[in-house]
Amino acid sequence: MGKNYFLAKWLSGEITEATLKEHVSEEEICAYKKIISATDQLEAPSYNAQEALEKIKKLHSEKTVKKLNIINYFYRIAAVFAVLIASYYFISTKNTSYKTNLAEKIIFELPDQSEVHLNADSKITFKAKNWENSRTLYLKGEAYFSVKKGTEFTVISNMGSVQVLGTKFNVIERDRFYEVNCYEGLVSVTSKTETVKVPAGTSYKILNEVSKFSNNTNETMPAWLQNNSSFKSMPYKYVVKELERQYNISIEYDVKYENNLFTGSFIHSNLELSLEAISIPLNLKYEIISDKKVHLKLDETSYNKF
Amino acid sequence: MNHTIDEDYCNEKKFSKFFLDNSALLRNYMYYKCGDKEFANDIVQDAFLKFWDNCKKVIPGKAKSFLFTIANNLFLNEYNKSNVALTFKSIPQKKHTHETPEFLLEEKEFGEKLQKALSNLSEAQRTTFLMNRIDGKKYKEIAKILEISVKAVEKRIHNALISLRQEIENI
Repeated sequence: MGKNYFLAKWLSGEITEATLKEHVSEEEICAYKKIISATDQLEAPSYNAQEALEKIKKLHSEKTVKKLNIINYFYRIAAVFAVLIASYYFISTKNTSYKTNLAEKIIFELPDQSEVHLNADSKITFKAKNWENSRTLYLKGEAYFSVKKGTEFTVISNMGSVQVLGTKFNVIERDRFYEVNCYEGLVSVTSKTETVKVPAGTSYKILNEVSKFSNNTNETMPAWLQNNSSFKSMPYKYVVKELERQYNISIEYDVKYENNLFTGSFIHSNLELSLEAISIPLNLKYEIISDKKVHLKLDETSYNKF
Repeated sequence: MNHTIDEDYCNEKKFSKFFLDNSALLRNYMYYKCGDKEFANDIVQDAFLKFWDNCKKVIPGKAKSFLFTIANNLFLNEYNKSNVALTFKSIPQKKHTHETPEFLLEEKEFGEKLQKALSNLSEAQRTTFLMNRIDGKKYKEIAKILEISVKAVEKRIHNALISLRQEIENI
């Protein structure tokens, strides 16, 4: 049971004085009482807890500030690494782009050996990294694609996107004109309003927000690949723009002709022949003002003929 | 219930309350140990700062003993004086004011003897006995704070009383 600490028990009131007397003499009890009462009168030196607390709060906040500085230091190092990693990532996943100037066409291969023909004044951007898994590219202008079979191949432009697996198709995205011509297989075109399937030999176009299918593609590749631009019921302004692009010139003409529909074609190798090709059907005549400037105006002589 | 908020001593309000509730006792405890008021105050300050730094590690319900453990460790690391000389303020008691000068002198002498005897107690006996008598802590509370058994507290009190009586008789 252990020892009986009767003095402690007596002090805490657990046993009475009478019980204590069984262990201790009366004289001793008297001495203890005196000690206890004298001790009870003692008081520890004064202590101002509130003041001490304020001091601790101050010291603690200083410490915290110091700690924060250390954290900042580590953040700085971490930031440097973050920038390094980010720039590495940026460089390694950087966009690859191909761009053509006016009167320029290029042919290039994508990482999967799909072939791209880029018409004048056009641009293609894609991420070469991880290309096999994510065949997505961004197009501005006009391009012809001969896609190798593989994962989904997507051509995104402002007015729509084309999804294919492996096929040959042409995409035009100029101003508010969008056209997809499919030459082989089947492509899926998603515009802002609909998703349609465009099989080989057909084309899908959006002009002035109106979409239309045509069954006109008998060719196996777009005409421009053979240095020829051909149009079918296209507003005149697109025709003129295309000619400007192909020859890197600027053409002035009366805006009233802008939306006249034009069907026909011009070649990319002879400016005068091409100008004739686009001006005669509208009863216009051309005037080469300078190296870069052409003026189209009503042909009075031919008008008089009729 | 809001148990987590209740037990989070990192919270300044919670910490402040904990400080105000316990700092005086800790200060006195440290004072009983060494008899050096300034040193005791410093230990209290350092102990609470350390407690605040480690506020996340406080086990619910063990805050006080955690604080005293920190303080004891700081004390052991920093204190190297073995000479303890306690000085206390005596509370004048009304009933004594009309006593004879002889009696008052005797009282004074006894008080001095007592302080000397207290200084000569072992550290464990002294702190335990004075926390009980001056700070009015029950054996159970002292046991919890110092993480010892109530029996051990009783032993310290018991032996403290015996030592004090013998010491005073011998002086």
